Amino acid sequence: MPLAGPIEALLAVTLVGGLVVMLAPDEHAGKLATVISLLPLAGSLWMYATFEGAGNALLGGELAFESTVGWVELAAYELSWHVGLDGVSMPLLLLTTVLTTLALVSSWTPIDERESQFYGLMLLMETSLIGVFVALDFFVWLVFWEFVLVPMYFLIGVWGGPRRRYAAIKFFIYTNVATLVMFVGYAALVFALGDSVSSFDLPAVAQALQVQGNLGTFFGIEPPVLRLVAFTLLFAGFAVKVPVFPLHTWLPDAHVEAPTPVSVMLAGVLLKMGTYALLRFNFTMLSDTALANEGIIVAFGVFSVIYGALLALAQQDLKRIVAYSSISSMGYVIVGLVALTPHGIGGATFQMISHGLISGLLFMAVGVIYNETHTRMVGDISGIADRMPWTVGVFLAAAFGYMGLPFMSGFAAEYLVFLGAFDSGIPYAPLVTAVAMFGIVVVAGYLLWAMQRTLFGEYGLATDYDVSRAPVHDVVPLVVLLVLVIALGSQPSLVYGMIQEATAPLVPTTLVPGGELLW
Amino acid sequence: MAVVTEYYLLLSAAVFCIGLYGILTRESALLFLMSVELMLNAANINFVAFSFYWGNLTGQVFSLFTMALAAAEVAVGIGIILVLYRNFEGIDVTEAATMRW
Amino acid sequence: MAGVYDFVPAIAALPFLAFLVSLFFGRYMPKRGAEAGVIATAGSLGLSTWTALTVAGFTGPATSYNANLYTWVQGVGDGALTLSLGVLVDPLAALMLLIVSLISFLVHVFSLGYMNDEGETGLPRYYAGLGLFTASMLAFVFSNNLLMAFMFFELVGLCSYLLIGFWFRDDGPPSAAKKAFLVTRFGDYFFLVGVVGVFATFGTGLFAPITDGGTVVAESFPQVAEHALGGEASVETFGLETGTWFTVLGLLVLGGVIGKSAQFPLHTWLPDAMEGPTPVSALIHAATMVAAGVYLVARMYGFYLLSPQALAVIALVGGFTALFAATMGVVKQELKQVLAYSTISQYGYMMLALGAGGYTAAVFHLTTHAVFKALLFLGAGSVIIAMHHEENMWTMGGLKDRMPVTYYTFLSGSLALAGIVPFAGFWSKDEVLFEALVHGLGTLETEASMVGTLLLVGYAMGLLAVFFTAFYTFRMVFLTFHGDARTDAARDATENRWNVTFPLAVLGIGAATVGFINMVPVAELTGAEIEFLHDWLAHGGIDATTTETYSELLHDVAGIEAAELGALGPGAVSLALALAGVGTAWTLYNVPDPVEQTDKLGGLKTLLVHNYYQDEYQVWLAQGVTVPLARAADRFDQGVVDGVVNGISSVSLFTGSRFRRIQSGLVTNYAALMTLSLVLLLIVFVLAGEVMG
Repeated sequence: MPLAGPIEALLAVTLVGGLVVMLAPDEHAGKLATVISLLPLAGSLWMYATFEGAGNALLGGELAFESTVGWVELAAYELSWHVGLDGVSMPLLLLTTVLTTLALVSSWTPIDERESQFYGLMLLMETSLIGVFVALDFFVWLVFWEFVLVPMYFLIGVWGGPRRRYAAIKFFIYTNVATLVMFVGYAALVFALGDSVSSFDLPAVAQALQVQGNLGTFFGIEPPVLRLVAFTLLFAGFAVKVPVFPLHTWLPDAHVEAPTPVSVMLAGVLLKMGTYALLRFNFTMLSDTALANEGIIVAFGVFSVIYGALLALAQQDLKRIVAYSSISSMGYVIVGLVALTPHGIGGATFQMISHGLISGLLFMAVGVIYNETHTRMVGDISGIADRMPWTVGVFLAAAFGYMGLPFMSGFAAEYLVFLGAFDSGIPYAPLVTAVAMFGIVVVAGYLLWAMQRTLFGEYGLATDYDVSRAPVHDVVPLVVLLVLVIALGSQPSLVYGMIQEATAPLVPTTLVPGGELLW
Repeated sequence: MAVVTEYYLLLSAAVFCIGLYGILTRESALLFLMSVELMLNAANINFVAFSFYWGNLTGQVFSLFTMALAAAEVAVGIGIILVLYRNFEGIDVTEAATMRW
Repeated sequence: MAGVYDFVPAIAALPFLAFLVSLFFGRYMPKRGAEAGVIATAGSLGLSTWTALTVAGFTGPATSYNANLYTWVQGVGDGALTLSLGVLVDPLAALMLLIVSLISFLVHVFSLGYMNDEGETGLPRYYAGLGLFTASMLAFVFSNNLLMAFMFFELVGLCSYLLIGFWFRDDGPPSAAKKAFLVTRFGDYFFLVGVVGVFATFGTGLFAPITDGGTVVAESFPQVAEHALGGEASVETFGLETGTWFTVLGLLVLGGVIGKSAQFPLHTWLPDAMEGPTPVSALIHAATMVAAGVYLVARMYGFYLLSPQALAVIALVGGFTALFAATMGVVKQELKQVLAYSTISQYGYMMLALGAGGYTAAVFHLTTHAVFKALLFLGAGSVIIAMHHEENMWTMGGLKDRMPVTYYTFLSGSLALAGIVPFAGFWSKDEVLFEALVHGLGTLETEASMVGTLLLVGYAMGLLAVFFTAFYTFRMVFLTFHGDARTDAARDATENRWNVTFPLAVLGIGAATVGFINMVPVAELTGAEIEFLHDWLAHGGIDATTTETYSELLHDVAGIEAAELGALGPGAVSLALALAGVGTAWTLYNVPDPVEQTDKLGGLKTLLVHNYYQDEYQVWLAQGVTVPLARAADRFDQGVVDGVVNGISSVSLFTGSRFRRIQSGLVTNYAALMTLSLVLLLIVFVLAGEVMG
């Protein structure tokens, strides 16, 4: 097996690119970073085109672009560099590279100090995000998972708004503690597996966990309880990233303070790390525990949907509105995942991609409006549709995408999630699903309200800026994203086929009525 | 007739306690340094004593290392004391507390 | 061989292309994109006509068509549904395609006069919106499954938002657009739950079975439901009884219908939607958005027939809405407002007919209403142009002589709306009421007498509404066109150009004659075979969607019986009521100087002017309940949830600030602490050793 495959090349290009950009002069950094980011974009597109994976990466599926290199041995455990792609990680990788390039372009206008560091950090963040989605060995994965925080911390803390320090520190500590919790859960599982695994490798652990009797006791904790404890720790750890109520409060602060391109990455990709990890760990390795506790988990999801939407309704800051609505949208992912039906898990994964694109689009649109008006408060702006028609047009389209307009990816994702959840083993599934679906009414309420106030009516602005048409390079990323959203909504199979290939093995063959533990 | 090992240990303990007492009660950095040397040498006595007791040379070799280390430490320590003197016009360790929090 | 059915998708694709062309290239075109719309809808009209003729059997044997054309989501693995988009063309769909493309074509032409000639800006956006609106509605009409119907149903909602809010610089239109979308979205929520429920229950959303050479390839959900009720198939009913669950599903889908078709209690958006340009109102009311709801019930009628309870609800909602909206129309001052309430009321009639098992009557009324309501709106638009965008009827008067084409066509439409023989509305409304009456009476004597009672209640309300309808219609006509001109604008009004009068003329003739396609009383009287619409809907290549099947289901499954009753008596009653309404309007308002008679209503007037306070309570639900709830959630989030997070950080910082005092900076203290700790540790070890040992 060759030492470096396309995945390693992707990582190397972004890493080296990031370092080079940091040394480049400020005035060229933006363009240079954008050009460099085209390389991983092209690479990932090529990988998508030639993708030949099948099945789930963790459950013995056939991986695309896999490479394994032994690294060190620690006692009974071997650490190795193990990367590869399956139908879940491929679309997420693509999402990362696409959004990074577009976010870099959208940074040209708002970022006007320390440019080279900014763009360098953005590329470093891309490196680590790619790493999270491709890594299959726990330690490799953990390194990338943690490293994401470093560029993010600086991006918020240096280029952010007035309360940037508070937001950055809150974000860093919150997610860092979450990692610790999650780590304990995973380590407990691996140690309790005893001799049946010889590494922290994710596929190895996942497959070992599927075999009944492998899991031993750990500090006197019996296997069934241990599963539940590990599940809870992992869930709590990842729920922070998603975020799930009540672990979500870092998100609005981080979003409001972060500069627009960083918000795009944060909402578009970073939140997906949480759901991706949930899918990989909780719903793949411990799917039986998930199945047995569907009622409780789905309650978190449904509550996040409604609660996030209600919170968004109460906000005045456009960015805060989008931030809270992300909580709502990510709730759908939880609902879909926990349904553990084909369209439930598949739809949840599709929702990750879809929400990445749509929330990125909406944040960018808010950013473009902010660039021109220097305010994001709903009461300060009115009637800008007159001054910036194309931006407003795209904003409108993005908002309707968020509301789940058919032929845009949001509808496809939500419909699949609902379809999957309605007929699942969740207790009172139809009722629970119906409650979650009410989110689509509330989301329409706050977005329409905000649009009516800001975009329409007579032109007026509370700040001393003159609104004119946005520069072309601000609008182009919006249009690209919009086209992607519509393409995915009209033909979800562009990614949904491979997603289903990868998620189908997770569906339990026999549904167990909720309430009791299987093992 | 060799001296019983316990006496060495008692001596070592006594030297150590003198050093400890010095650290706990003195304010001059130089006296500190000397007290630390005492404590180090108490350890050395232990090394040699046990080495003698077990008939094993490792302890004595270690004490040689310790002496070299102590020399280096004194060099660094004296340097620190000099800087201390320059900045605080004295070598009273209770004065130099500006970096605590 | 490429038959006409291969071109059916193009009926919707053409206006969609027009949407793209107008949006991106409209500003370079002399008419700002109207060209694309007119040509595309003309093309759609041609294709629809061809399709209808083929379905009718003019080009060979009568056929129908049902096929999945596009796989939207391919299910992978066990139990993963595959979701498709497809085309279903049967007599109902063909008829509706014809109506929609005709109205839409005429609206495009009319817009040349209403928008272009008036020098509006933003026309490419307008025509793009119209194109997308038409395209979505046409695609909705030929949808072959519930999911596809929902998708285009939502697009229709989007377009109504864009077009109602066309004049976005003012405050009114954006607010009305928001309300329209939000209220219908509330209905669509139930619809979506219903769609998901149907797919989860039956595994398919097909309206009609797909056959290949006589064998059924894919069953439709109404059929599966019928089999399940008969015990021949089993479906997941989520713990409910089969029949109950089907009623629940039917009522859920009905939520979307009530929203889009502006039925009580979700009718409040429609009068506000008058803020949009008048041609858009014509399109919304006559052929697209509002019609979509009723069409959906007709489309999946085979499913509703399985649940008499759902039918009774439909009939009751319809009858109530018909009367309720008609009474509100009586006191309105603005031309378009009167028409808006008449639309709500007329769709109530269609719902009444559907609920009462009068499928043909409903489709008939849908057809005639599309023609005369489009006519009335375009006529109103013509008046509004002449009045320089003044809509209050009290500022008009005497337009009869100055705008003859508008007057006579408007009169034709009004006679149809009021239900005066022989105009279109008479025949269809009469049949609606007749169906409600006979089925109500017939069912009263069976076990399902409750359903029969409800149908009769619906009938009574519908009958009463006839009087009000005739009254407000002719109040409108007399105030607008008769008497003396009351303002300078009315005195100087002139007739409009061809692009306004041509659509009016086409529709005016239609409003007078469309009713002849189904003259039931005449047929009964003379024995002539002239019930064309009945025959049209009774047959077709797909048995599952013919009225023959429906009447069997109505009788066998729903248990709704028809009483033996002549059509002439009830027809005479409703005609008499309509004439009474016209007469009342005549005496009150056909005078040179009409005065507002509404004060005579006393307290009732306040109630009617405020639309029974329906808006108020809905606004209160949104602003008085939801917003405070959201604020409370926000306070909870900021205070409690985030408070805990910040609290943890405060506690850490506080304890840190206390503990750091240990760091005195005195080496002596550190050394003492170390020593003490060591001693303590040693003691602990010793004690522990003793305890363990």
